[in-house]
Amino acid sequence: MLSIKNLNVSAEGKTILNGLNLEVNKGEIHAIMGPNGSGKSTLAHVLSGRSGYQVESGSASYNGLDLLDMLPEIRAREGIFLAFQYPIEIPGVNNTSFLKKALNEIRKHRGEEELDAIDFLQLIKKQMQLVEMKEDLLRRPVNQGFSGGEKKRNEILQMAVLDPKLAILDETDSGLDIDALRIVAGGVNKLRSKDNAFVVITHYQRLLDYIVPDFVHVLSDGKIIKSGTKELALELEDRGYDWLTNEPETVA
Amino acid sequence: MTETLNIFKDWVQDQSRKGSDFVLSKDFRQRSLSEVRTENFPTRKNEEWRYTPLSSVFDRQPSFAAEAEVNPADVEQLTAAFADAHHLVFIDGHFNRTLSDEISVLARDGIAINLLEDLEPGSQDEVERVIKNAKLTDDNIFRHITQGLARTGLFIELQKNIEITKPLHLLFLGTQSGKTTLSNPINVVHLNPNSRLKIIQQFASVTATKALTIPADYFQIDEGAALEIYKLGLESDETDHLSNTYAQLADAGSLNHHQYLFGSRFTRTNTEINFAGSGSEVVLRGIYLGDKSQHLDIRTYVDHAQPNCMSDQHFRGIMNDHSRGVFNGLVLVREHAQKTNAQQSNKNLLLSRDARVDTKPQLEIHADDVKCAHGATIGELDENALFYLQSRGISKQDAALMLTRAFATEITQEVKLDSLREYIQAEIEARLMEAQNFHV
Ligand SMILES: Nc1ncnc2c1ncn2[C@@H]1O[C@H](COP(=O)(O)OP(=O)(O)OP(=O)(O)O)[C@@H](O)[C@H]1O
Ligand SMILES: [Mg+2]
Repeated sequence: MLSIKNLNVSAEGKTILNGLNLEVNKGEIHAIMGPNGSGKSTLAHVLSGRSGYQVESGSASYNGLDLLDMLPEIRAREGIFLAFQYPIEIPGVNNTSFLKKALNEIRKHRGEEELDAIDFLQLIKKQMQLVEMKEDLLRRPVNQGFSGGEKKRNEILQMAVLDPKLAILDETDSGLDIDALRIVAGGVNKLRSKDNAFVVITHYQRLLDYIVPDFVHVLSDGKIIKSGTKELALELEDRGYDWLTNEPETVA
Repeated sequence: MTETLNIFKDWVQDQSRKGSDFVLSKDFRQRSLSEVRTENFPTRKNEEWRYTPLSSVFDRQPSFAAEAEVNPADVEQLTAAFADAHHLVFIDGHFNRTLSDEISVLARDGIAINLLEDLEPGSQDEVERVIKNAKLTDDNIFRHITQGLARTGLFIELQKNIEITKPLHLLFLGTQSGKTTLSNPINVVHLNPNSRLKIIQQFASVTATKALTIPADYFQIDEGAALEIYKLGLESDETDHLSNTYAQLADAGSLNHHQYLFGSRFTRTNTEINFAGSGSEVVLRGIYLGDKSQHLDIRTYVDHAQPNCMSDQHFRGIMNDHSRGVFNGLVLVREHAQKTNAQQSNKNLLLSRDARVDTKPQLEIHADDVKCAHGATIGELDENALFYLQSRGISKQDAALMLTRAFATEITQEVKLDSLREYIQAEIEARLMEAQNFHV
């Protein structure tokens, strides 16, 4: 589904991703861990098409498409979803109408009929139960004045509604209390299927108790320095990253 | 430049000599005309005109238009939007009785709606008293042209405790595309204690109309009275618009004044507020939306001459293409105006590299126990917000439109009349869609 080969990315003249390789197949969940500033969010941003990054070399293909050559909105319509580490507040744009517009853009792209207000409301009500989100948040401007946890739930709600093929969750667990964490993880588990894939960026092994990954990767200094199964996360929890950065490089 | 302005001045005097159908008393007009003679047109050396050259305005000699046939459909299209209002229609500087609601029906006990041209000679005192009471700090030459040559206008007076619940829709429509038509209506509103009135004041034109529109508004708001007024500037891009609005509030008066300025080649609105009593509240709102090479200049002057009053200003500019916006607002808090609460905010969105805004929010405070704040921003669309929307499948163009619309909504959401709010929002939408950056 996603194949990243030897990706080198810089921003403002500074190398951030430095020879990154990653293969994600459908049905899989990949966890990416790694120290602060190692390039995890950058990877997520580059995959979703944020400007301001320079791809120096390497490639990323997604279902046979040259991902790096596509507009962000086209990537989204093709099924890529990024749950932001820091969701953006958008004053004046209503949360519901925003999400309806987004869904209908994606449906149009897939050749499906657009949903009318009633059908959309039905869908969104159903998905809101999934993340146990308060209904009044739908009537508010996108993320405006939402608490940290509400913003993260809103990201998962959007994911549930837009039904992506490849979802990248950038520290969705940060700032969540234990109940919210369980709810968000539960949402992911319900959406999980043999046809979609998740890349879950996190600092905490705890999340991986709820969302059990098939693979765990350690990103350090812009490349993946170790890959393993969920046991690797437990080991990281125990030992930190030092033992890895001092070890000779192992390729995923 | 000076040349054309002088020609225009001569023309004003000349019209006054030749014309006969003026609506204010001779003495009163003569005083205004002599002001026109002696006053100079403001130049950019004047701090209040620093960013606004008048040269482009008087490049065409205006003239009065005769009463013209008008296609009723053109008017109905405009009045239909406010089906729940009373309509008073002015075409090319003439009141049109056929297309207006019957004034005598509107007038009932406690409500006087007079056309200035219907006032008997000698009965203009009350109107002229309100006008004379208005001391403007700037833009005076234009009000004097308006007054010296006034040929139509309204004098609305509500008696104590009277409320007109239906809004009055005043439509000033231009239709002449041959010569530049001068339209200079005067609107005088006097609200006696505890009376209430809502007005929609719409300036519009059929396509390609050439006009010079110089209206003057005078509002006297007595104790506990409330005026809610929405000005829509939607004239053709061959029209220049210079307006003066003066409001004086007695104790516990309230004024809600909105301006939606989207049309005209050139717009300058001067809004001056005078607090003459305490416990009054003034809310000023506005959006100026520029495209092509439009020039829009909003000046406000709020004089807190009395204690315990509140003024709250919020203006937003959206500038496309080569357009230019100017916001120039002054809040003056005089020495004994304690407990003043004055807020002033101006935010601008530049949608094109060639657009430009100059903003000058000013607070001048001479009292010590006050709550005042002001601020201005000039910015572009938020890259992060654009990307967030795009990352959900929304095209960059649609995202930009959504964010721009949202920027405007923060003002328009305060329009209390539903049909009007929808009309304004649709108008903004249509104009944005026409602008080149939102073209598909
Ligand atoms: N647009 C940019 N311009 C310059 N430097 C950038 C830019 N974006 C990211 N960086 C830098 O690249 C490095 C990686 O940042 P990134 O946000 O990807 O880290 P991260 O792994 O997500 O960290 P965290 O765990 O703290 O979220 C940091 O040093 C950051 O300052
Ligand atoms: Mg990060």
